[in-house]
Amino acid sequence: MSADLNFARLRSAGTATLRSRAGIPPTVLVSFLVILLVVLWSLFPSLFTGYSPVNGDTGSKLDAPSLQHWFGTDYLGRDQYARVVYGTASSVTSALVAVAIGLVVGSAIGLASGFRGGWLDATLGRFVDVLLAIPGFLLAVVIVSSLGFQTINAAIATGVSAVAVFARLMRAEVIRVRRSAFVEASYLEGGNRLQALLTHVLPNAYRSVLVLAVLQFGTSILVIASLAFLGYGDPPPSSDWGLLVASGKTYVTAPWLVYAPALVIVATVLSINRISRWLRNSK
Amino acid sequence: MTPIEFRRRVFLAGITAITGSAVLTACGGPAATSSSDAGTPVDGGNITFLIQGYDTGWVSSKTSISSYEGNLWGQITDKLVYVDDKGQLSPWVASSWEELNGAKDFVLHLKDGVTFSDGTPLDAAAVVANLNAWAKGAPERGVSKVGLFPSSNFVSAEAADAKTVKVSFSSPALGFIATLAYHGCILLSPKTLALPVDAQADLAQEIGSGPFVLKSWKQGDSYVLEKRKDYNWGPAALGHTGPARLDTITYKVIKDTSVRTSTVASGQAEVAFNVEPQEIESLKAQGFTVGTPKYLGFVDGFQVNTQAFPTNDSSVRQAIQHGIDREEIRNTVYTEDWDAATTFIQGNVPEAGDYSSAFAFDADKAKKLLDDAGWKPGPDGFRVKDGKVLEFPLTPNPYVPSTKAEDELIAQQLERIGIKVNLKVVDVAGYAAIQASRPPLFQTSRSFVDVGTVAGVLTSQNNGENWFNLGTSDQKLNELSTAIASASDRESREKIAGELQQYVLEQGYFIPLNQLVQRLYLISPAVKGVQYNGLAYANFYTAWVAK
Amino acid sequence: MTSGYGRFALARAGQAAVVVLLAYVLTFLVISVLPGDAITNSLRDPQSGLSEADIQRIVEFYGLDQPVLVQLALSLGRFLTGELGFSLQSNLPVSQIVGDALPSTLTLATMALAIAVVFAVAIAYGAHYAPPRWAGILRSIPSFFLSVPNFVIGLVLIELFAFRLHSFTTTDPNSATATLFAAVTLAIPVSAPLAEVLIASLDHESRQEYALVARSRGLAEAQLFARHLVKPSALPSVAMVALIVGELLGGSVITETIFGRDGIGTVVQKAVTGEDQPVLQAVVSLSAVVFVAVNLAADLLTPLLDPRVNVREAANA
Repeated sequence: MSADLNFARLRSAGTATLRSRAGIPPTVLVSFLVILLVVLWSLFPSLFTGYSPVNGDTGSKLDAPSLQHWFGTDYLGRDQYARVVYGTASSVTSALVAVAIGLVVGSAIGLASGFRGGWLDATLGRFVDVLLAIPGFLLAVVIVSSLGFQTINAAIATGVSAVAVFARLMRAEVIRVRRSAFVEASYLEGGNRLQALLTHVLPNAYRSVLVLAVLQFGTSILVIASLAFLGYGDPPPSSDWGLLVASGKTYVTAPWLVYAPALVIVATVLSINRISRWLRNSK
Repeated sequence: MTPIEFRRRVFLAGITAITGSAVLTACGGPAATSSSDAGTPVDGGNITFLIQGYDTGWVSSKTSISSYEGNLWGQITDKLVYVDDKGQLSPWVASSWEELNGAKDFVLHLKDGVTFSDGTPLDAAAVVANLNAWAKGAPERGVSKVGLFPSSNFVSAEAADAKTVKVSFSSPALGFIATLAYHGCILLSPKTLALPVDAQADLAQEIGSGPFVLKSWKQGDSYVLEKRKDYNWGPAALGHTGPARLDTITYKVIKDTSVRTSTVASGQAEVAFNVEPQEIESLKAQGFTVGTPKYLGFVDGFQVNTQAFPTNDSSVRQAIQHGIDREEIRNTVYTEDWDAATTFIQGNVPEAGDYSSAFAFDADKAKKLLDDAGWKPGPDGFRVKDGKVLEFPLTPNPYVPSTKAEDELIAQQLERIGIKVNLKVVDVAGYAAIQASRPPLFQTSRSFVDVGTVAGVLTSQNNGENWFNLGTSDQKLNELSTAIASASDRESREKIAGELQQYVLEQGYFIPLNQLVQRLYLISPAVKGVQYNGLAYANFYTAWVAK
Repeated sequence: MTSGYGRFALARAGQAAVVVLLAYVLTFLVISVLPGDAITNSLRDPQSGLSEADIQRIVEFYGLDQPVLVQLALSLGRFLTGELGFSLQSNLPVSQIVGDALPSTLTLATMALAIAVVFAVAIAYGAHYAPPRWAGILRSIPSFFLSVPNFVIGLVLIELFAFRLHSFTTTDPNSATATLFAAVTLAIPVSAPLAEVLIASLDHESRQEYALVARSRGLAEAQLFARHLVKPSALPSVAMVALIVGELLGGSVITETIFGRDGIGTVVQKAVTGEDQPVLQAVVSLSAVVFVAVNLAADLLTPLLDPRVNVREAANA
């Protein structure tokens, strides 16, 4: 109804359901740039700074941010900007590992569950319920404490907690498609049921899975940073963002040690969330 | 404005908010308070003392009392002898003593009228019970002896009468009287000593004779001590013998160093234990007192496990000795309040000599030692021999400030000579497990009052702590240990101590870093009259709060 | 409907019990992989004050010298009877440790949940009824809340309100003000998904026929919000609250550590560094029980709140 539509449009002015005529909104562009920068930091850290994240000039310890040291120096005279840049690799790569685990394992479970139904669905469903029942962060903490305090283990732990969310999503998508008319139609045409499912499920599901994956990427960065903050990640001299915040806060007179990595975390995750929202709303 | 621009605004607003609070935080601390002159002590007042942790049980007889617990014990218990920050001994519960028969027999004369907090007298019988507990422990009940007590030659302690105790040793025990001032030798009621070990873990069962008594507590969180009104036997050296001036002391556990510092800095508590050395200058500039007393004891350094890889190779031990740049550590991690080490015992110990050539920083010498021993540089710069990389794990000592930064720096320095150091950070709870696992390098922090008691840790003779894992395999060390524990006069003992220092350092059994300041006290300007003893503990018996 | 509902409720309850059991087993298997010899490290530590007889008792109790599956059977049997074992660090009964810590965490979590709901409702209301300029900003707030790590929020709040403005002191973490700030820290990441769901379902509902009709009848927006929109829109949020319980428990580990509170989060943190398996096992299993119970309640309430939901369908979801 056109009246309804107009009313709705007026009502929801200010929501992202409006597609901008300019194409990609500026904030999304900025977000992509931030993510690109972060990815480059993790792949080619030496391009961005000449300082070493491990060895510093002990004479210039705890210097405030300046032109030579953009983020200041830490308690051993190391350039804090270099430490953040080199720490990106483990903070970001580990988050990608976590998402990959969640995505691959979770989707496989969801697909199997939704496709076969019956007892497989019930069994896998309970397994997924168990993963959901244990609070994600607690589960990650327990897994890391078992495997050993290393960032890669934190990544695995975060990934395991993410499996459930992907599994649920994939299963819902599969069920939705399964019930739709054209799958029945293609089956009647004599096609393999699994084939039909895949050719119809994946193109339709990939959008929501992508949105979820991007969102989980941001969440994983936060979880891994929190684990590192508690000391459950790689030990010094590694410079995970969370570990930088934890070691920095001991030095009350040098607040830049805390706020520089904190700002980087917030900027990164904010950009990721922005991209995720844009993806979701531009369906 | 379009919705898109609003999102950008929120984005920027968020960043600004965080940056704003960062700027706010960076802008200086609380207003500087001028410290007034020490005036007349006033009675009354309460202080809150912030400390890292009190997680484990309160068994009094342990091999060594933790630096944290010692702070609380010192207020609720007394000792027989007092040692001041210059190492001078003076009477306390023992009003006088005699050393007879070449330091093999001692007579202690006790002060009159001393009682435990439950009213029972602290008489000779009580002292005898304590001496036996310190010397022998009660192994059948799981109670260990005091590690640094001269136990190997202890024979007996007996009460000659209600005010006199006779102690005898089988060979000269020059360190006996001094050890009575050690913070592990606290006088407890015989009732407490007789309890089984799990009852002793309960602080409420510990009955002492100190100027404060335990009023209320919540395990692992807070402990409130209140003053004992009939206390009348303080050590004369402190200039006060009556009851304490403060009404209460509350020990509050706050694990985080920066939170402890900030809480006192913002006036919400009076004393914080162990702040970061690098904060000291700016805290002093704000009018706070930072006490950095040095105790008698071992320097900050590593005891080396001679049986573990790779420190079973003496070249590796010596390479580490010469590969560490201690001056860089002092300049970076610590302040001028920290002194260089000349040996493995602190500078204020009379027998400490200058053996710094045994561990002088010389990276080339260290590299040559490793080259000659067959450790060749591998592809990533770390040395390899027989397929094994020259690496070892290192855990910073959570009982000493800034050891994390110190160990990170050491890792960097050793990397330059090709040794890989893998840091593992644990807190107090995990550190006991690290100690039990006997790692190649273990960071020690131990005080003692008399150098003769060092014998109790070097080997495994007489149930010693066997710091270097040599057992009794090193004959020379065995001989030196025994000699120092049973030396008959102070001159010959000093000579033996010299030989011991030379030998231990040359063999690379102990790797000194710098002289240790283990206990730092950040004290609010309103608190006056805090004094430090020879074991670097702050005593609040004479303290008061200026109104 | 009653018998359909009854069957549905029973099936759901059965599922819940299975999940709890499986969660216990999974946790046990994960934890028992913990490296290090619990016996030597925790028990034999001379500082713990345990006698040899005590150590033997503990070894026998847990079957620490038996294979893993035997230990699991022992453990599970005890859990089902409510016996949670003893801490390896302090030798106190785990139920006592958890019981002592629970009030602090419950207070914190309840306050945080309340604050999160308030935030979420305020944001959702504002996002819908505020002038377009503000609505846009408000809609972006949940995303921003989800971008700041909770340890940063906590540190900033402490720095500002404890050390600068002296609103509370870190030496008394259980004071009302300190708890309030800790609760805000915990609430912020929790309010975000709540707000987003409320906004989305308000968006959805506001386009429905009946809303249009109600508006045309001249009902004030606020009344509309309250009467017609909150109830059915609350549906997805009831399931949300269950998920949020999980977030609250997980987030409490960091929040309690930063604010120095003595709750379940701190117990977990100490248990991890002390490799105290029985305590970890108990806390994780109990969290699963809480989560499952809340979820069960949510599932059972859903058909009652919105008659449009088919009980059969809900059972298959």
